[in-house]
Amino acid sequence: MEEKKHKVSRRQFLSYCLMGVGGFMAAGMISPMVRFALDPALEAGGESDFVQVTTLDDLTEEPQRFDFQVEVEDAWYTSDQPRSAWIYREGDEIVALSPTCTHLGCTVNWEGHDDHPNQFYCPCHHGRFEKDGVNIAGTPPTRPLDVYEVEVRDGSVYLGRPMQR
Amino acid sequence: MKWTTQQMDTYLNSKEYVDTAVIPLIPLDWEKDPKGKVSMGEFTSLVTEELERQFKGRIFQIAPFTYLSGEADEQKLERLLEWDRHFFKNGFKHIVYVTSDGDWKKLENELPDMLIWMPSLSLESMDASYAKEILNQQMKQMLPLITDKWQQEPKERS
Ligand code: FES
Repeated sequence: MEEKKHKVSRRQFLSYCLMGVGGFMAAGMISPMVRFALDPALEAGGESDFVQVTTLDDLTEEPQRFDFQVEVEDAWYTSDQPRSAWIYREGDEIVALSPTCTHLGCTVNWEGHDDHPNQFYCPCHHGRFEKDGVNIAGTPPTRPLDVYEVEVRDGSVYLGRPMQR
Repeated sequence: MKWTTQQMDTYLNSKEYVDTAVIPLIPLDWEKDPKGKVSMGEFTSLVTEELERQFKGRIFQIAPFTYLSGEADEQKLERLLEWDRHFFKNGFKHIVYVTSDGDWKKLENELPDMLIWMPSLSLESMDASYAKEILNQQMKQMLPLITDKWQQEPKERS
């Protein structure tokens, strides 16, 4: 009796083990799915901290490009990734535009094409945007450039995350 | 666009806009100067990633073409030509090979499309902001090469 009980429990133990592995595998399969489902939110929320990018004194009415780094948290590791913004001031207001073309994501340049002064130009499929980031009809992009959240502290300009308009 | 399933979906939905494949050429050698080879690969990846960032909507960053440094020129050339034909036939009118390996410079004339060769800098010995500055300079020279290429007719393949 004693012996039999022991055997059963050993078999049980084994099957628990197997179930354990199976369960673990299932969890492994499910968690990426959850991650994919949440991903857009994660991506937007991942960079909520404000980063110092430049100082007020450096800004002009002409958009200038500033490069900076943000910490991006991936599922596996955190890394510093490069970002850029086109920033200009208009009276008291500071406008910081994301350089990412809203068509398919190339980087746009201020006055990037000689024929189109005072506009942002995308070299990939000739997308164009007004100075305030509004897309120009008849070019591939269908919405304005995203705008960064801006904060000014002690003469320094901080950018948050880019917001879709 | 990057070599990920997520970006593949974007690609499949907008294929007609993505006509340029960028292929990093990366040497391996665990016998002679392994670190030098790693440094070439590292630099090539950096440059390729930056290209991808600038031109995300029009280029696809292909998985690296790797080879042992000792592989005979004709053989690795033939293999690369096969990749080239494959991607050309399947929708990429422009193909750009990016490398830090000087061997390809010698073979440049035999390549059917554009080679971007940049000697690798040992970035580890510089401080980060200086390294970034150098890389920026290099990129500034490189970006027009690509946009100019887009103004021209794609190269014919025989
Ligand atoms: S990615 Fe800018 S126009 Fe297509």
